[in-house]
Amino acid sequence: MLETTNLNKAFKKNKAVIDVNLYLDKGESVGLLGPNGAGKSTTISMISSLVKPTSGDVTWHGKSIVKDPNAIRLHLGVVPQEIALYKELSASENLKFFGKIYGLKGKALQDQIDKVLGIVGLAERKDELVKHYSGGMQRRINIAVALLHEPEFIIMDEPTVGIDPQSRNYILEMVQKLNKEKGMTVLYTSHYMEEVERLCDRIYIMDHGKIIAAGTKQELTSILSSEETIFVELDRSYPELVTELREIDGVLRVVETDKGIKLITPKNSRLLGNIFQAAERQQAQLISVNVQVPTLEDVFLHLTGRKLRD
Amino acid sequence: MKSVFLLQLQRLRREPILVLSMMAMTFGFVFLLGGMGSGDRIEVPIYFDEAISQSGQEELLDRLNQSDTFVFQTTEEAAAEKQVALGEITYAIKAMPDNYRMLVAADDPNQLLVNQYVQQVYADELRLQKAEAAAGDTDFRKKVDSLLADAPITLTGLTAEGESDSAGYDQKNQFLFGMTLFFSIYTVILSLGKVAEEKRTGTWHRVILSPVRKFQIYIGHLSYAFMIGFSQILFIFLSFKYVFNYELGNHFEAIVLTVACYTFAIVALGMLMLGLVKSLEQLNALVPIVSVSMAMIGGAYWPIEAVSNNIILAVSKVLPMTYAMDSLKGIALHNQNIASLAEPLSIMVLFGVLCMGIGVNLMERTS
Ligand SMILES: Nc1ncnc2c1ncn2[C@@H]1O[C@H](COP(=O)(O)OP(=O)(O)O)[C@@H](O)[C@H]1O
Ligand SMILES: [Mg+2]
Repeated sequence: MLETTNLNKAFKKNKAVIDVNLYLDKGESVGLLGPNGAGKSTTISMISSLVKPTSGDVTWHGKSIVKDPNAIRLHLGVVPQEIALYKELSASENLKFFGKIYGLKGKALQDQIDKVLGIVGLAERKDELVKHYSGGMQRRINIAVALLHEPEFIIMDEPTVGIDPQSRNYILEMVQKLNKEKGMTVLYTSHYMEEVERLCDRIYIMDHGKIIAAGTKQELTSILSSEETIFVELDRSYPELVTELREIDGVLRVVETDKGIKLITPKNSRLLGNIFQAAERQQAQLISVNVQVPTLEDVFLHLTGRKLRD
Repeated sequence: MKSVFLLQLQRLRREPILVLSMMAMTFGFVFLLGGMGSGDRIEVPIYFDEAISQSGQEELLDRLNQSDTFVFQTTEEAAAEKQVALGEITYAIKAMPDNYRMLVAADDPNQLLVNQYVQQVYADELRLQKAEAAAGDTDFRKKVDSLLADAPITLTGLTAEGESDSAGYDQKNQFLFGMTLFFSIYTVILSLGKVAEEKRTGTWHRVILSPVRKFQIYIGHLSYAFMIGFSQILFIFLSFKYVFNYELGNHFEAIVLTVACYTFAIVALGMLMLGLVKSLEQLNALVPIVSVSMAMIGGAYWPIEAVSNNIILAVSKVLPMTYAMDSLKGIALHNQNIASLAEPLSIMVLFGVLCMGIGVNLMERTS
């Protein structure tokens, strides 16, 4: 349904997107996972016809949207990364305006507004000014606007950034429903791997403008089928321990997280003894040591040597 | 297009501070500068040295009171000194035969003006006296006076329109027109600044992705900015005409048309500025620079006739402010009608068309 071929975007010398090839089939839910600055938003802007690529093409049902942006616009809903609403107006006033510019009017407009307010669960508070909403509610209206014209394809750019867990959960469930029950095709961008793991059939992992891995969750984690993750929980941060662990033979990746240190090692490498010894030498207070099944986060760590979130 | 326009109106209703404060500033400054009660003259207490004869005193007082700005009133030396000492008045003039002294208590912005004026009168007088002595003619002064009154040649300043008398500008209208046009620049360009704001918040991109065409979005914003500026100026003019009884001539339709052309030119200028800046902050920084310099050079603060610098005069010839001020004064003072204003009005429109063309191109290039 949608496909990009060798998509590139450069801002002056800064190459934001490099040779991105991706596709979505009808009804699929696809994730675009990557840290801040990876080029996710820029990729999305090109897919939604807002920004012209430096080179490469985006096709919608085989037609180039670089040449004819109108081919996709009516079928597409975009939830931007920022809260793109008129904050001094109420939610229903915002919805009314955005509905009107999509050609809705009268009862049809009112029905659509009621419908999307129901979907995002804000029907009772529709007359409050957006600026008085909590962050989570603003995010929900931000999504509601993109649903007004019933697009068959929706792109969401980090729709859960900076909100409370309840709102986040609400949004994730809502996206799942739209995809599974209404058959809406979803392209979901995030730097939270739990979100794309939960929502998406297929995932693209992006870093420094490039797609560095793609596939279903199983396919991606099987990249690490011959590795395992060891998580060492500590009472505080021990920078020297990190250095020392890196020097152990056989350890592939070491990264410090807020609760301890994560290592990727070959499967059955029997390095636990070395780890304990190192901890002893650094007089580090161990809380627990776990051998874990690899997650997408670990895949990213394995591929780039960095954490997904900094 | 209509939706975009109505939306901006709706937003204005929620946050009308900007427009209201620009209106309030206009009213405030026009009253302040125009002195409200029709050219209240500055009162100057004056007393005379004994060396000046009674007739000499009257003659000097006459001479001093020829100004429209000051009114000199005689008082007693003792009384004046006491009042100044007590701070009841801030200054007084002591007139002596060839000189004067100014008693000063507290700082008063008018002191300088008064001092400058009295000095001028004394200097003229001294020059006359010298000439008189040199000519050795006792009737010299009378002859000069009668020659001045019945001059063989009169000098009349000709402006671009060739009609207005350079000396005959009306203070009150000058301030009304100048301040109104000046503050409306802020209203218009900052209203247009909503485009830059929308680009930042992302709502602009949402609207672009909708089936609404780009030129319709632009027209929506432009017509909103035009409507706001146009209504602000007209509202102020109508208030002063009907509530404060300002004399604006008999051709109000010509005023309406002039205001429309001027507002169009400023909207277009705003579009050009939007094309030049990268962010809302830059626009906000640029607006005062542009509006203040245009007001200064275009004759909104003082009449352009008071300027003799050729460079400034040349620059003023391309500014819509200059033509709007000229036209408005022409209508108010000389009852000019639309037909006689064809030239300044079309220059403003031309200015607008040029700015608009360049502005839209710049905007589309940067986006
Ligand atoms: N309009 C722009 N002008 C210049 N550089 C930009 C612009 N938009 C994005 N970039 C740069 O492109 C890179 C990718 O940004 P972005 O696509 O926003 O990443 P992400 O959405 O994954 O966080 C960043 O280095 C960013 O600084
Ligand atoms: Mg982004």
